[in-house]
Amino acid sequence: MCGKGTTVVVLAAAVLLTRPVPAEAASADDIVAKSQRAYFYAGSDMKARVLMTLASAGGQKRTRELTMLRRNKGDAGEQQYFMYFHQPADVKAMTFLVEKYPNKDDDRWLFIPGINMVKRIAARDAAQSFVGSDFTYEHVSGRDLDADEHRLLPDEKVEGKDCHVVESVPRSAAEYKRKRAWIDKSTLLPLKEEYFDGKGELFKAFKADEVRSIGGVPTVIRRTMTNRKTGHTTTVSFTDVAYDAGIEADIFTERYLRDPPGRWIK
Amino acid sequence: MIPVLNPQRLSVWSTERPRATIAIVVLIAVLFAVWLPKVRTDTDPKNMLPPTSDVRVLNDKVEQWFGLHKDMIVVGLVREGGIFDTGALKAVERVTRAVVDLAGVVSADVISLTTADNVVVEEGTLRVEPLLSTIPETPDQMERFRAALLGNTMVVGRLVSQDGTATAIYVPLEKGANGKEIADKIREIVRRGDTGGIRYFVAGDPVARDTFGVEMFRQMAVFAPLAGMVMLIALYLMFRSLILSFSIMAVAMAASIWSMGLLVAVGQPVHIMSSMMPVFLMAIATDSIHIFNEFYFRLREAKDRRNAVLETMRVVGAPVSYTALATAAGFGALVLGEIIPVRVFGIFVAFGTMAIRLMSFSLIPAVMMLVPERVLLAARDREDPEAGASRWLGSLGRPSIGRPRLVLAAGALLLVVAAAGIPQIRINNNMIRWFRQSSELAVADRVMNAKLAGTSLLYIVASSDEPGALKDPLRLRYLEALQRKIERVEQVGKATSVVDLVKRINRVLQKDRPEDEILPGSRDVIGQYLFLFGMSAKPSTLENLLDGEARRANIWVQLKSWDAEAVERVLGAVKSFTSVSPPPGLTIQPSGIAYFNLVWNDEVLKDMVKTFIAALIVVLAILAISFRSLGWGMLSFVPLLFTISLIYGVVGLLGKDFDMPISVLSTLSLGMAVDFAIHFIRRYRQRLEEHGGTTADALVWTVSRPGKGILRNAVLFSLAFAVMLASSLTPYVTVGVFIIAMMMLSAIFTLVYLPALVMLLARRSSEGKPAGAGQS
Repeated sequence: MCGKGTTVVVLAAAVLLTRPVPAEAASADDIVAKSQRAYFYAGSDMKARVLMTLASAGGQKRTRELTMLRRNKGDAGEQQYFMYFHQPADVKAMTFLVEKYPNKDDDRWLFIPGINMVKRIAARDAAQSFVGSDFTYEHVSGRDLDADEHRLLPDEKVEGKDCHVVESVPRSAAEYKRKRAWIDKSTLLPLKEEYFDGKGELFKAFKADEVRSIGGVPTVIRRTMTNRKTGHTTTVSFTDVAYDAGIEADIFTERYLRDPPGRWIK
Repeated sequence: MIPVLNPQRLSVWSTERPRATIAIVVLIAVLFAVWLPKVRTDTDPKNMLPPTSDVRVLNDKVEQWFGLHKDMIVVGLVREGGIFDTGALKAVERVTRAVVDLAGVVSADVISLTTADNVVVEEGTLRVEPLLSTIPETPDQMERFRAALLGNTMVVGRLVSQDGTATAIYVPLEKGANGKEIADKIREIVRRGDTGGIRYFVAGDPVARDTFGVEMFRQMAVFAPLAGMVMLIALYLMFRSLILSFSIMAVAMAASIWSMGLLVAVGQPVHIMSSMMPVFLMAIATDSIHIFNEFYFRLREAKDRRNAVLETMRVVGAPVSYTALATAAGFGALVLGEIIPVRVFGIFVAFGTMAIRLMSFSLIPAVMMLVPERVLLAARDREDPEAGASRWLGSLGRPSIGRPRLVLAAGALLLVVAAAGIPQIRINNNMIRWFRQSSELAVADRVMNAKLAGTSLLYIVASSDEPGALKDPLRLRYLEALQRKIERVEQVGKATSVVDLVKRINRVLQKDRPEDEILPGSRDVIGQYLFLFGMSAKPSTLENLLDGEARRANIWVQLKSWDAEAVERVLGAVKSFTSVSPPPGLTIQPSGIAYFNLVWNDEVLKDMVKTFIAALIVVLAILAISFRSLGWGMLSFVPLLFTISLIYGVVGLLGKDFDMPISVLSTLSLGMAVDFAIHFIRRYRQRLEEHGGTTADALVWTVSRPGKGILRNAVLFSLAFAVMLASSLTPYVTVGVFIIAMMMLSAIFTLVYLPALVMLLARRSSEGKPAGAGQS
């Protein structure tokens, strides 16, 4: 949800979708743009119940459960997110609203029910953890296409599936110094990602554990991020996924933060 | 077959085959020496206790609960004109960036002004960002930054000094990383670029530990040969025979190689104690002096060399055997302790001592057979019982023989003084004090403890069985009260807990006034604050203070001293607090490196008492068996008792820290200091048996003839350890001073006090039965 340059992603995606390009000429940038489209922008809107399980190396587990509503706003790459937290119990009814803009920082608002206050929250850096998990905000809503220099490596298979292998080196601030992604040629979804730090050491690894077609849209319904340095892992499962559900635009406003829409959040 | 078990037959065998004997000793040394290149060191104080010990198991758990790291380097950055300067802050940023990328550093958890999370509200927007996210350029911006930083209670003391002249970078290390290597790289980073007028100090436990490891190796390589050289020169001056002098060195070297080789061969690392093994063995090998001493006297009496050798071995053999046994027993008793490196040290020095004894009866007689006759004769002529040291010693012995009561009274007075000092002994293992005051490390530690909250870290962990318990306002208020109590303890620079974080969030969400810095009264609100913080901050910032389930909270206590006493005070405060107001469904446990040091201290004390008593019993038993009399055994204990009481008394009176090296010495000194008394009493009784005469005559003879050997032994022993006084590592200096004091005192007490005691006892027994043989 952090977002300068998301326009580039979207524009690139739009161009690619409208103009036929021979497959063999696909550049690394094309592949990454298409993959981002498939992974972060599927449908005109989306709703899902999200269960995050955070596990420490010592086996301690914590869960976060939320309903996520997402709406693509126009063609410029803007998106809106509405999240309602069900778990842990003491944060029940906390709500979180994000307006994602291309070329500038997101706007974020959080409703704190205990003191009945809506507070604007500033975005931080690229490495910012999403609700204390091993996923960063960028892992949740995408990173600008232009923020990295992408390069194609020879194709590889991941669990029997043909994959593009893309190596990305950041041009602007990032939590990694180098990233490698294995992108399924048929669905364009990332199946595996590896993140390397300034010392060239692998510190984070992403894996798409389960991909399922939801109303014809291939969706990663279970994914895991592992911090290789600490052994900490976060697993995210999606249930009740629906695309093009017709989520109303006015839900993404402060009024609904205080009074969540019962129709979408059960 | 070589008759190893019977010393007399062994020396006969060796005098017959001197060359073969030497060849065998060399061969065995070569067999052990092949292992030496595989040597490795271990200077981590944590390994003083086994990994299964309660404190280490708990520390491991606490580290896991809170995502903490075992080792942390603290870099102090001091600018006398204040750190609120664009150039200085740029330097902080530059160094932090470079440090983050060092191999062995836990990059994500490096804490400095540019990485530490801070919660602020600006224009209605809540922001969690590094304290120093953009470097202020204008005086206005700088003033605002200064006010914000110094007004933030969570930061003052930890990341900025109260007076604004110092900041710090906390650098956690990955498992197995070498603290000295990383410290050196950090110093290099600092030198490479613009320092912004800042002075840098690198401190912390891993730096001290690994610097010590490197220094230890270097000094071991210097001091062992140096001690050998000094002894060699002294021996030559005493005996005027290079070959004979060298033979004692050869015994010491061979014994060192045997024991060190065996130590490495069985896979043991070299610790601080075992690094001193060669010097100890060298000193123990000086016991062979008694053989030479007697040999030169015998050479005057028996004209045939071989007979002189065998005669010497006959009279000196038993005392040499028993002193070796007593010494080995003293070291061997260390096995009963809990501290692993001390146990290892005890076993291997005991082994080396027995090797020395073996060589005293084989290598030494063999060399004596090979020395050119004219060298011996020339040297022999210098040994006149009526001349030099012997005459001086004789005159030293006379007063104590003539006026025993006075001597005893003087001794009793000394004991009283010692008794006053002993209770003042302070047990303390402080690694920083293992370096000289002027060393880079000690200076760094001093500067940082003066400016910031402290380099020594103690954790006070509150746990509950119930998940979420530490979001309960009641319990957090309790935690806060406990924290305030801890903060008031002397030497505590700062205490930080999750309470500070919750209060900070409350403040910025309310009106950001100091009076808003309070705990909310509702558990849900606290839970929501923490969730909000977790949504925005680095996960580790919260995790370090509160575990994921909120079942446990951690109070970070920064201490300005590594002394065990500082930790004891904190624990005392915690205990008195929890007994007055019992914790609401919480258990409170101490943990962390500072706590480990305290436990280690207690173990050192327990071990010392245990091994000391064990050594006392074993050595006494050996003495009683050696003299076939409990009375004589106890008598030979007296000089030792005086020596040890006096040394401890002085240690107590001077207020010197009583650390692990000293405590180890106390046990093994039993075995070493008793040597002189064994020689004295055995030779005295032998003299009386073989030549008859009065008690006084026999005593004078003993003081001047074997007494000369005793004095030579003590001087030589002291010389070997004197080189350690030049060490830059204070434990080596301590050991040097201790051993010299012990050897000189026990020699003096043996030569002055024992004769007086023997006289008095003889008079008493003659009063009991008139016309007794012992009449003077």
